[in-house]
Amino acid sequence: MSTKFTASAVAAAAVLALAACGGGSNESGGSGGAVTLRYAMWDEVQKPPIEKSLGEFMKAHPNIKVRIELNNWNDYWSKLQTQLAGRSAPDVFWDHVAYFPKFSKEGVLTDLAPLIAQDKLDTSIYDSKLAEGWKVDGKVYGLPKDWDTIGLFYSTKALKEAALTPADLDGLTWNPTDGGTFVRVLQKLTVDENGKRADEPGFDPKKIKQYGLAMQAPTGQQDWWNFALQNGCKLQDQPWGKWTIDQPSCVQAIQFVQDLRLKYHVAVPATVTNPPNGPSLDQVIGRGEAATAMDGSWMLRAFDTALPNGGFGVADLPAGPVGKGSVYNGLTEAIYAGTKHPKEAWELVKWLASEQHQKAVAQAGAVWPGIPALNDTFAESWKAKGVDVTGFKKAAEGTTMGYPLTVAADTYNVKALDIFNQVWLGQMSPQDAATKINNEANAAIK
Amino acid sequence: MKRIALYLALFAGAVVSVAPYLMTLNSALKEPAQVLTTRAWSPALPVTFENFAQVWSEYDMSGFLLNSLLYAGAVTAGQVVFSTMAAYAFGRMSFPGRDALFWGYLATMMVPQIVTLVPLFLITREMGLIDTYLGLILPAAFGTPYGIFLVRQYFRTIPRDLEAAAHIDGAGTWTVLVRIMLPLSRPILATLATITFITTWNTLLWPLIITNSDATRVVTLGISALKGQYSSQYHLILAASAMALLPLLAIFLAFQRHIVRSIALTGLK
Amino acid sequence: MNVIDNISLRGGTARGQRRARRPLAPRIRALVEAYILLAPSLAGFLLFLVAPIFGVAVLSLFDWNLMGAPSFVGLANYRELAADPEVWRAVLNTIYYVLLNIPAQTVLALLLALALNRRMRGGKALRVIFVLPWMAMPVALGVIWTWVFDPRYGAVNQLLGLVGIDGPNWLTDPAWAMPVIASVNIWQYTGYTMLILLAGLQAIPHQLYEAAAIDGTTPVQRFFTITLPLLRPSLFFVLVTNTIGSFQIFDTVFVMTQGGPGGATDVLNFHIYQQGFQLFRSGYASALAMVLFGLILLITAAQFLYFRKRTVYDFS
Repeated sequence: MSTKFTASAVAAAAVLALAACGGGSNESGGSGGAVTLRYAMWDEVQKPPIEKSLGEFMKAHPNIKVRIELNNWNDYWSKLQTQLAGRSAPDVFWDHVAYFPKFSKEGVLTDLAPLIAQDKLDTSIYDSKLAEGWKVDGKVYGLPKDWDTIGLFYSTKALKEAALTPADLDGLTWNPTDGGTFVRVLQKLTVDENGKRADEPGFDPKKIKQYGLAMQAPTGQQDWWNFALQNGCKLQDQPWGKWTIDQPSCVQAIQFVQDLRLKYHVAVPATVTNPPNGPSLDQVIGRGEAATAMDGSWMLRAFDTALPNGGFGVADLPAGPVGKGSVYNGLTEAIYAGTKHPKEAWELVKWLASEQHQKAVAQAGAVWPGIPALNDTFAESWKAKGVDVTGFKKAAEGTTMGYPLTVAADTYNVKALDIFNQVWLGQMSPQDAATKINNEANAAIK
Repeated sequence: MKRIALYLALFAGAVVSVAPYLMTLNSALKEPAQVLTTRAWSPALPVTFENFAQVWSEYDMSGFLLNSLLYAGAVTAGQVVFSTMAAYAFGRMSFPGRDALFWGYLATMMVPQIVTLVPLFLITREMGLIDTYLGLILPAAFGTPYGIFLVRQYFRTIPRDLEAAAHIDGAGTWTVLVRIMLPLSRPILATLATITFITTWNTLLWPLIITNSDATRVVTLGISALKGQYSSQYHLILAASAMALLPLLAIFLAFQRHIVRSIALTGLK
Repeated sequence: MNVIDNISLRGGTARGQRRARRPLAPRIRALVEAYILLAPSLAGFLLFLVAPIFGVAVLSLFDWNLMGAPSFVGLANYRELAADPEVWRAVLNTIYYVLLNIPAQTVLALLLALALNRRMRGGKALRVIFVLPWMAMPVALGVIWTWVFDPRYGAVNQLLGLVGIDGPNWLTDPAWAMPVIASVNIWQYTGYTMLILLAGLQAIPHQLYEAAAIDGTTPVQRFFTITLPLLRPSLFFVLVTNTIGSFQIFDTVFVMTQGGPGGATDVLNFHIYQQGFQLFRSGYASALAMVLFGLILLITAAQFLYFRKRTVYDFS
């Protein structure tokens, strides 16, 4: 027994020591001069083509290994920020406009300007609107990786059943008073269990089988921000400034989204779609619970899986009282300021921003590229599948609103998820919600 | 009549207790499409291990399970050894400061884990152990007040004569602990080990903030991430959950006598 | 180890002089030995438990996102949380959860314990089966429950559909989300609670019931005059520990709802986590943690006082 106990004590010590070694070997870097870079992202759809392209990169750079760390959007940000706080962030990571101001302020991003100058990199190939977004005070914190806008995804089957054509979705308008032609069309697409449509007599709004529209947006990017832009609302007084979503034009847009659900009964109720447990919109459309959905261009692959063989299309968003408009946004790959391998990380970022890499990803139909010359490559890859995606490009070239630049994105996101869920359920008025979020998000700006 | 009603009620309770386990395993064995098209309780026909294979290889479930095994195993080993040592000191030796210290230990038993979370994160950061196995294991590996309390209470039920006899024969403290106390304490040590293993295996919060990379990811985080990623692909999520639950089920059934008894005892302390 | 052996050996050989040296040497020896045995656990205790407890109190006076420099703000975090409606909502949500959870769980457990407190075939096996849920991983349970309560593919709505009921959207409907989360806990801990109560029941002397039966009392009367009063210590223990445990609900909320929909399941522990590790307001999160700590201290103090007054039993 004595030996047994001693043995288990030794075993315990050994396990701890083993764990220590395991912990040590987990640090990036390694033996034999080869460097392992950690590269963090959140989109599962983009991972396969990126991985393939990284194979080429590693062949060209035998001294560098790249390990992708994939986490879904929700986990990604709390994880990344915990890593930054723990000084163990990935060497290269996807950066989003929502978090960029905070990160640049905290000094956790590497300034690429000297590296660009030293390598005489041609940055004129990138979309200037996107490139400008990553610059602060003469410093450059990223090169455009991609871009996205919001469109109206529709089920071709649902459209046909309502005797509508894709052309009928063009040129729709909405207004805060009676909903406009947009609501009229959505009513045609809303069907109750007896087959009555919402514009027909005898329609029962309590027993709806298929809704005209599905919306789901933790922040507002895919729903009311677009209506806000079309209604002349500005989310902020200026980039990096204060939130101004308590203005009447913004509140009207929030009201309109609530009305689509609660007043017109043409949008899927919040009890179904509220994040985080509501099914994603490709699922909602795929199951036939809604005819159309407002969603981002990054969702194309998901819709293609849910509605294969040309089962879906993409139309423009409607125009509002002020005109057309859509939220336009892009990502970048940032280099962690605390990386142990800045040289290798820059090599990786240069590759990711290169035409060769972005072309490969665009060809796979994963995401619109940051290099405008490659937009057609992306569109063609979808044309081959029978889906016309040029609507996104048209939207991007029209009136757009960039993603708000603020150091208080965390607070805004957490509050918005909580509070808008309540608004869509009819538990809070749009004005109260806007005032509340506005005050709390502004209080967090320091 | 009354007897039948009683048995029926107990049977219903037993069914509810095992139904989620059975339904999970059953559905995980179905083909992906069937998970959505058949009822949760209709049997998996034909049985397929495709879902298990997919989460095992593509989703690196094997790595997560291994990490959990290492995490729970190391914590359990540390907990049993160090709790026993401390319990002997508290339960059988007299030294200045013993009672005050023991009360100090007891007092911390009611501190919720979340209270110490931020400072613990900072301490781990300063030790340079973020995202390492060591950072994951160390805070729980030195014996918890609960473990020490459990073993100490047990030690106190062992008659002192045995020790006294050994002391007269010239045995030292360490010898007495290892030769006399431990063999008599096997049931409680088995209980402590099982409970520690189960609790650590099931832990979410500490791994959630202290580990980040796939290399150190434990199974609780793996499942949580899987749900975030594939929210409606139940065939994968259920297969992963079944894999996380089954090892514990085996351990539990092996040690059920100890566990059932120790739970019954906690209320009588 | 060698040190201990050496010391004890010397103690052994010097037995003849023991009486003379007793006042000092054995005491020092005992002290050294005791602290050698205690050293590892004491190190862990001080570094990973005591230090963080003091640390959280200090942190609660600062404003810090863990990246930049911390700034001292005095009691501002406490003033803010007192005026923060979301904190109060989290407190109320937590209490609501406890109220959904504890009474149902305790009554069910008591009924089960009463049913099992007799000689019956399969009684032992039933006990094991009822405790099976207790060791399940809450994260996996959260995932499984999300599926069981899925409005379309879940067993619950499929069962309801059999009897013609159109089940609600459990987890996206704010009215149902919390009851569903509470049901996970009830399922998980009823068997565990039952075992503790059963042990309490079995400790009640049989003669009491026999005497009462001779006096012509009904079973119901016996339950209220004998069982309940004598079971009180076990019952109270179960109530207090389960309540404290329920106050710390986190895993299922994290996996199933992330505090939603619309804050309907935003409980204290999740709120603290969110402030600390999603918004990185570590000072504010620490202040909230102090409040939770205070709440639990209150409950524990109540427990202590109660046991002081009521502890009249000894089952050892």
